[in-house]
This record gives sequence, structure tokens and C-alpha cells, in this order.
Amino acid sequence: MPIYITGPMLLQGVVSGLLAGGLYAMVALGLALVFGVMRVINLAHGTLLMLGSYTTYWLFALYGMNPFLSLFLSFPILFVVGGVLQKVFVHRVVNAPELSSLLLTFGISILIANLAMLGWTSDYRSVEFLTGSFLLGPIALSKPRLVTFGLALAITGLAFLLLNKTKIGKAIRATSQQRDVAQVCGINVRRIDLITFGLGAGLAGVGGSLVSVMFSIFPEMGQVYVFKSFLVIVLGGAGNYPGAFFGGLILGVVEGLASLLLSAQLSEVIAYMLLVIVLLVRPTGLFRGRI
Amino acid sequence: MKPLAWGIGLGILAGLAIMPFFVTSYIVTFTIQIFMWIALAGSWNLISGFTGYVSFGHVAFFGTGAYTAAILILKAGWPWFPAGLAGSVTAAALALIIGYPCLRLRGPYFAIAMLGLNEVVRALVSYFEDLTGGGSGISLPPILSLQPVYYAMGGVALAVFSLTYLIITSRFGLRLLSIREDELAAEVMGIPTARLKLYAFLLSAAGPGIAGGFYAWYASHIEPLGTFPLLTTITMIIMCLFGGKGTVLGPVVGASLLSIFQELVWARFLFVHQAIFGALIVGVVLLMPKGILGVLQERYRLPRTI
Repeated sequence: MPIYITGPMLLQGVVSGLLAGGLYAMVALGLALVFGVMRVINLAHGTLLMLGSYTTYWLFALYGMNPFLSLFLSFPILFVVGGVLQKVFVHRVVNAPELSSLLLTFGISILIANLAMLGWTSDYRSVEFLTGSFLLGPIALSKPRLVTFGLALAITGLAFLLLNKTKIGKAIRATSQQRDVAQVCGINVRRIDLITFGLGAGLAGVGGSLVSVMFSIFPEMGQVYVFKSFLVIVLGGAGNYPGAFFGGLILGVVEGLASLLLSAQLSEVIAYMLLVIVLLVRPTGLFRGRI
Repeated sequence: MKPLAWGIGLGILAGLAIMPFFVTSYIVTFTIQIFMWIALAGSWNLISGFTGYVSFGHVAFFGTGAYTAAILILKAGWPWFPAGLAGSVTAAALALIIGYPCLRLRGPYFAIAMLGLNEVVRALVSYFEDLTGGGSGISLPPILSLQPVYYAMGGVALAVFSLTYLIITSRFGLRLLSIREDELAAEVMGIPTARLKLYAFLLSAAGPGIAGGFYAWYASHIEPLGTFPLLTTITMIIMCLFGGKGTVLGPVVGASLLSIFQELVWARFLFVHQAIFGALIVGVVLLMPKGILGVLQERYRLPRTI
């Protein structure tokens, strides 16, 4: 049976993609900060996101807390978790070859995921809080996705305020541009590493809280987000934080259209081809120079 | 020293060759596993140990080989041995397609591109259901005797080991090492780095292709999730790292020791199995990044070519 793609369907694909992309952008910003400052690809980023989801889930299941309010707890909790991981493990591989940091963070990731499985079983859980959708002309806007998108945008905005308007933000940007020079200028780069990792983990945790109102929660839920986040970093250009935001939106739209026009299974393949093409044609990202 | 080393090597080889006639099938099965891991860890060593380009998706070649062999056996009626060998052809073809563009990427970008490749091959395998059986996979007739697989897998392990020795004692090997130490300097010296990296990558993909082909026959059932786990890539990396990357004997030592450790220790802790593995990874990376062979080479001034 042939399937006809109509204009409204395309529009729906783009809108759904944009809504998903806002979340990708926020989660990827966390990974991008850690990568930019320490040159460490944190393969445990998705696992930290999973911890954020469980934070929201337990607060909701045990105390009936509004999942959107639990952001204010999942961020600080994950900030501390990230800080501890950085202090104990990650700081040892900051200047090591990438093999060490990739393996180390992967080891941490399966360690945490396995402990989560032991403690909370691998059952699928969900937070049923907000369901249904608005109709806007021919387009359906799912309520949880819309709220999630708005919150993700707001938090990304706050993160940019922190990066651009505060002294710590300036220090983070300086360290990610030139680590040695930053140190010479009197920035305590070890402390910046610690804050950055905490911030990255916190953003992953908030991402997890937001994801939990839309998708199932289980110990290995985070894995897909690591690769997607890295893809977003590449699209935006390494070290280009505003670029990561647009990269997230682009990835969302590409995935939305690919699953509409081809198949949901193949959207991953399309995203991968996008990664390889961008790496080859414009290795500095789609937005060369800083926006 | 040299005749002694050859004597020990040939003795171990002869012992392994006659072993299946004297031991239980449990030991034979276990040894097949060790052979497989030696082949996988050794192949990863060829690209990542020698050139420093970290392949984080090497299991893609293993899985490609496994599916090639299974499809040839089932749909084209090939005997298992040539079907297994054919796994190297498709694996190397995949390596050519992906290596030609991606080996230009330095540092973490190559690692992540390879990580993504594995996910993509798995997605494609699940998508083309007519050929691959989709998510439920392919079932092959059960094998009647373990011994042919034992010798075949042993042959792969021996071939990868010998290849590693041949490479490290050749000009080709020295050039690969120069890429690892300083790629820019190597290029300035006139070394065609792009071509050599690609050759090393093709060689490192062929071994897992054949090992995967024989594995498909031996396991008699393959499906996407079990054939492309990221954990397999990590296991081969950790085995290679634990033994000593960039050395000849390192992958053999690492694969054997960790396989034995796994059989004796992990198998008893089914539930925390992965947690222990995670802790092991963290431990190896932080405490012994040079591996057993690396430490021995430094301490006793052993030659680089072991």
C-alpha cells in the first residue's frame, strides 16, 4: 500500500522533531561542556541521565511529587554525583589518550547501570503525569513533549546565562579554549573541571527528569543519548556551545523526518550518515566560527 | 633465548593440537572461546595497538562475518568452512567503506564514528528481515562435532598472532608505530599514512570476520542483539590492554587470563557480573594502562617484538 506524504504530515514531522531536538540540545550541552573543557567523552553521560529519571520516578512514586518540580532536586543530586566521579576517577585521565577516558567512563557507566539494575530491577517503569495533546490546525502537539521542550529551552537558556554572564562561566569558556593559557591567567583549572563535570552531569540529570514523563524508565535507557549527544556536538562544532543548541534542533528534525519518510528503525542510520558526512565535509561543525 | 622461545611455542602448539583427544568437551568449548578472544583482541591490536586509532566498534566486523557465514550456509548452501572464511571478505569490505573516509578523523572522532558504525550495522541487520531474519535472527543446524570448529578457531587465532609478529618485525609495522607516536612527523618523513592506516584497518577487520563466521556455525543461532554488543568490543579492548597493547604476546596473554578469570570468578556472581567487569575496566585503565607485557618489557628490557 503506497503511503502518501502530505504537507501537514511533513509539518508534523518537523514540529515533532523540533520538540525532541530541544531536549537533545540540552542533554548534549552537558556532554559538550565536559568534552570542551577536558577533552573527555563521557560515555557515562547516558547513565547519569538514567539516574535523573529514577530520581524523578521515585519522588513521583513515593511522594507524589510533580515530575516537573523534581528538576530542582535531580540537578543538584546529579551535580554532586558528577563531582564525586570527577574527583575520584575522571581527573586521572584528563590529559591521557582518548582510549583511557573512553574506557574509564564506559566502565563507570556499566558499573552504575548494573547497580541500578540490582537495586531497582530492570522492569520498565513510567511516570504517568501529563497525557494527551493539543490540536493546532492539522498538527497534534503532545502536551508532555511541549512542556518538556519549554523547560529544556529555559534550562539551556540559564546554562548560557551562566556561561556568558558569570565569572565561572567565563573561566569555563577560557579553559575550554586554551587550558594552559587559562591556568597561566590564574584560573584553577582543576576546580573548573570539577564544576564543569558537575554541570554536565546536572544537565544530564535534568534531561533524565524530562525524559521520564515521555518514555519508559529502565537501567539501560541512557545508552542512546550518548551517541546522539556526540552527534549534536559534531553538528555544532566542538567547543562551540551555541552551535550545540542548533545541532540538537537539527538532529531532532532530521530524525523526525527520517522516521516519517523512511522508517523509525532507519532514522538512526540516517543520523549516522549525517555524522560521517559532517565530519568529512566540515569537521569544524556546521557553524564555523562562534555565533 | 631464541631457540628456547621457539621450542616453548611449538610445544604449546603441539599440546593444543592433540588436546581435544584427551579432554572433556567442556574444556574444548572453553578453549574455543579463548581462541576466539585471542583472534578478536589480536585483531583490535593491529589497528588500535599499532596506529593508536581507537576502534570502538570492532564487533561490527565480527557480526558482519557471522551474518555473512550464516546467510551463505542457509541460503546458498555453502559448507561452513568456506562460508566462515567468506566472513573476512565482507568484514574487510565494510572496513574499506568506513575506513576510507573515517580514518582521516583524529582522536575521539574516529572512536565515536566506529561506535556509531556498530549501531548502524545492527539497525541495518534488523531492518533487512528477508535476508537476516530481523530481530529473531538466523538458526543453523546444530553442529555434530566440536573438533573441526576447535581447529578452525585455533587456526584463526594462530593466523592473527603470526600476522602480528610478521607486521611488528617489518617496515610496515615500524611505519604504523610511527603513526601512533606522531602522525604529522611520520607524514613529513614521507610515510603514506592514509594508505598504511587503511591497510592495517583492513587486516584488523578480516580476523574478526572469520572468527564471527566460525562463531555463527558453532553457536548455530545468531540474532542482532547478541551479535553486536558494545560489550564485546570493550572486552576485546580490555583483554588487549590488560596483556599489553602494541605487543605480539599481549593480546594472547590478556585474552587467556581474562577468559580463565571470567570462567572461574565471574560465573559465580551472575548478578553483579557486569558490575565486576565495570570495576575491572576502571582498574585496568587507572592502574596498569601499559599491560602485563608493557610492564615486563620495561622492567626486564625485553625486545619490542614479543
